[in-house]
Amino acid sequence: MDSSRNIICSKVRLARNWSEYVFPSRLTDEQAKEMVGRLCEGLKDIDGQLNMRYDLVDLSEIGELGRRLLKERRVINRVILKKQAPMSMYLSDDEDVSLVFNGADHIRIQVMKPGFQLGEAWKDASQLDDFVNARFPYAFDRKYGYLTSYPTNVGTGMKAAATVHLPSLATGKKFASLITDMGRFGVSIRGLYGEGRENYGAFYEVSNQKTMGLTEQEIVDLVGRVAVQLDEQENQVRDMANTNHRLIREDEVYKSYGVLRYARRISMKEAMTYLSQMMAGCTDGLIRFKEPCDIYQLILGIQAAGLKSRSRKPLDKDELDVARAEYLREQLPELV
Amino acid sequence: MLCEVCKIREANVQYTEVVGGVKTEHHFCSQCARDLDFGPYSAIFDGEFPFAEFLSALLGAETPSQKQDKYQQIVCPTCGMTYGEFVKNSCFGCADCYSVFDVLIHDNIKQLQGSESHKGKRPVYQNTGGSEDAAAPDGAGDLTSGGTGNVPGGLGNLPGTAEDNPAASAEAQIADLDRRLKDALRREEYETAALLRDRIRALKGGAQKNG
Repeated sequence: MDSSRNIICSKVRLARNWSEYVFPSRLTDEQAKEMVGRLCEGLKDIDGQLNMRYDLVDLSEIGELGRRLLKERRVINRVILKKQAPMSMYLSDDEDVSLVFNGADHIRIQVMKPGFQLGEAWKDASQLDDFVNARFPYAFDRKYGYLTSYPTNVGTGMKAAATVHLPSLATGKKFASLITDMGRFGVSIRGLYGEGRENYGAFYEVSNQKTMGLTEQEIVDLVGRVAVQLDEQENQVRDMANTNHRLIREDEVYKSYGVLRYARRISMKEAMTYLSQMMAGCTDGLIRFKEPCDIYQLILGIQAAGLKSRSRKPLDKDELDVARAEYLREQLPELV
Repeated sequence: MLCEVCKIREANVQYTEVVGGVKTEHHFCSQCARDLDFGPYSAIFDGEFPFAEFLSALLGAETPSQKQDKYQQIVCPTCGMTYGEFVKNSCFGCADCYSVFDVLIHDNIKQLQGSESHKGKRPVYQNTGGSEDAAAPDGAGDLTSGGTGNVPGGLGNLPGTAEDNPAASAEAQIADLDRRLKDALRREEYETAALLRDRIRALKGGAQKNG
């Protein structure tokens, strides 16, 4: 079986600032507009970079729902979601590559890749970085490296993150202390979905805490090592359960499929829980679909803004649950 | 001698201030002196006499809050952000903030990042595009116009460098001014720094027109 099978996706983000302008927090709207315009203009030949096509998206124009949608699909972060200022973005067709202008920093380069491909994501991000830098000189200091708005990003300006799915490990008693211990290795782990202290679906993001004093490759290696370690531990627990309690595991997975396939209304928590169990069953080969099904895409699809934009109207909480069930019925393929 | 504030009562407090190597003497009456802010020494004029504070002041130690207060007002000449604002938002205003606040933030960054210097990638094209854009809008215009008037003679060391030496290339002049700008920032002479920065900007503008 594929090693790193529980590593869902890899992401590398680089924060850069154009030496000519003050950082975004000190820019007036006029200056920001001018800068964003010049960045868009200067990089308009971006098509073909990393063999992809790009669209220019005016982030201040698409409204809050549009930005929420991008946040759910993990293209933009919370800072960009909330910010009220001229912002634009070049976004690749598959949404995996994005360059956001005037977020927390002037330029935010992000490359996402499915599975465990942190090294590849860094390579691509670095290539785009050079593409931008060939046109715009960066704020860079010999001692501090790439200068960023927040001191937490200074140095490499890099955040490498791997999304891991740990349904069995997360139920263990030691999981909370495991997460805390990770801090000592210089990485942090956060739950991706859920409310308050409750985590829905056991998806976690492992990322580097520090951005200075390590080379980009060292950061990639560090985050990668932890992600692989977590993946291996999850596999051990799951393999044991699959061998010793196969019927229970199968029952869990098929029941999850049944609910997702036939429910008429389903809350976020239920949907995440069942999708998580089904994903684990799929990865372990306990359940097989007639057509290929990317369960991670379903997880992105059942979030509120995605459902709202699909139905093209505002939805209250109950209507959301109905729309979510409808979406899942449509998307889930039949079983073999 | 009369008190220099109220000019009514006899001055019985002599206050000597040494700022940047320049010594100034002031004479106040005890009543006016009580209303003035002498930092840690104010305690002398209060009814209650906090001995510990007085002693630490004598020994040159500052309490953390006073130290902070003093630094709150340090301002980045490029973007106009004060150190106080930086501490409040933990967000830098521009690239120059890093050098302006360097001494103050160095330890914090080291603590935060577990390192004090960047390892890893460097910009590939850093030197090629830098000179083409001189008209940097940075929202610091108000600072410069106010700054010139406030430092009469403060820039005595400025003229006679770049312009008097036509043989020097614009780049060399800029480099020289840049070095002095950094030096001024290190000495916390922000008015000088602002003027030096304007000179650099003017030179860059000139270089663009000529070349």
